[in-house]
Amino acid sequence: MDPASFAGRAVSRLAWKAMPAVPFVVVLLAWIVLWEVFHPSKETLPPIRDVLSTIHDLAASGQLAQNVLASVYRLLLGSVLGILTGVAGGFLVGLNRAIAQMLNPLVVFFNAISGIVWLPLMIAWIGIGTALAVFLIWNTVFFIVFQNTVLGVQLVPEALENGVRSLGGSRWETLRSVTLPGALPYILTGIRSGLGFGWRALIAAELVGAASGLGTMIFDAAEFHRSDIIITGCLIIGAIAMAVDRWLLLPIERRTVRRWGLISDAEAKH
Amino acid sequence: MSTASARPHAGSPSGLRPGLLVASRWLGNVKILIPFAALVVIWSAIQAVGHFPERVLVSPSRVWDTMLLLFSHGILVEYIRTSIAMIFVATAISLAIGVPLGFLVGSNRYAARALETFLRYLQGISGIAWLPLVVIWFGFTHLTTLAIVIYTLAVPIIFNTMTGVRAVPELYALGLRSLGAGRLRVIRDVYLPGALPSIMVGLRLGMGYGWRALIAAEMLVRQGGLGDLIFGARTSGQIDRIIGGMIVIGALYIIIDRLLVQPLENLTIARWGLLRK
Repeated sequence: MDPASFAGRAVSRLAWKAMPAVPFVVVLLAWIVLWEVFHPSKETLPPIRDVLSTIHDLAASGQLAQNVLASVYRLLLGSVLGILTGVAGGFLVGLNRAIAQMLNPLVVFFNAISGIVWLPLMIAWIGIGTALAVFLIWNTVFFIVFQNTVLGVQLVPEALENGVRSLGGSRWETLRSVTLPGALPYILTGIRSGLGFGWRALIAAELVGAASGLGTMIFDAAEFHRSDIIITGCLIIGAIAMAVDRWLLLPIERRTVRRWGLISDAEAKH
Repeated sequence: MSTASARPHAGSPSGLRPGLLVASRWLGNVKILIPFAALVVIWSAIQAVGHFPERVLVSPSRVWDTMLLLFSHGILVEYIRTSIAMIFVATAISLAIGVPLGFLVGSNRYAARALETFLRYLQGISGIAWLPLVVIWFGFTHLTTLAIVIYTLAVPIIFNTMTGVRAVPELYALGLRSLGAGRLRVIRDVYLPGALPSIMVGLRLGMGYGWRALIAAEMLVRQGGLGDLIFGARTSGQIDRIIGGMIVIGALYIIIDRLLVQPLENLTIARWGLLRK
């Protein structure tokens, strides 16, 4: 084999691998150049080294871990509640077409105001704190999971259910071995997109309605014009969202789709 | 992408004669209102039985009176106009930025790979998280709100445009090129229609995120808009304004989504649909 073309291919493979890093590097370079050219005040745009040292300071003092934990804990609690109630409700409603149709307008409406729109009313009702954030996340996740579960349950071909029943399967067995796996890809799509909305709702809720968490950290920093802390917070918020999606939700979704072989259906949705 | 509310409208009475069609539509609309009527009855009952103080819960009729008063003074219209103008301006700008950018990136597989992770990362940072920084830059102004909403809207549009362009089979483009079509022609006749359904999904998702970001930003920026209406009412304990505002926010979103964006999406999919059956 021609060594030149071999080397060329190795380089292009390396370039392919390194591609995702390029925009991050570009933004960092632009940031450095912008700062060196304009020398903006630290409140407007802090230099990168300030942000790095802020990340280090916050991490070392344990403040960062505390805020991250507070946010992630709320996300988990609200999401688990949202998923459980959403799936259970989705099954109940999805199995009964008449109820589903009757409830649909309410679901559409409450979905339209899910999450952050409840903030003022909920502050008046339950005050500021963890319960508020958890409610907003539950509210956001519930409607997305619920709607997807209903859709998934309704789209399971009736012939498959009848098949198991005619072979002597009980209603419970049919639910467990036909309806649930059939609806699972939709449920998981709902969970993935629900967590995305939920994370946004959480940060917004924490900006005004909490005593700790990443949103609170950012908002408190704004009062002292500490944009280094704000940027640190934003970077970490993005990193957590991506980590949860990539290392938790995506693998689960992939495995489910592969296990219950609805790949054609699931992919047609993407 | 999300299939959360992409469910086709149930029971559209196609194939009926016009008169029957109108009648059945009307009946359909009445049916939609029944669950809401039930909700209002339950709400009234809770209010009547619980004797809640005014800072906690008010009766439906009280909310109605307050909203009517706000409406007749032109205040409500002003708040609505601010929010609606904001979401449409933001959508227009996001489309103008997002679609060309998505095309540019989507037409090169290296660029697409480069940007995908970055966009996913940005999507994880909600616009509202940037708000404190943007407030330092632009102050408590409409510009701040607009910047936040555009950021929120543009990312899903860029992302889905890119995905849509990548999903168009290269054979179609090659086929047209071998017949002598120029680059522009290929973009117009192959990539644009091929990517449109995906762009519409991005637009719809983006508007869902964007509307919430708008309300949240309005709550914090406090320069008018429905978010300002409900958040401002909280400080003075005006539950009637909060609940009324929430109803308006929900209704407006449904109107925008169901009467504007979804029909557009369905049209696109029916006309150029590669995504769904």
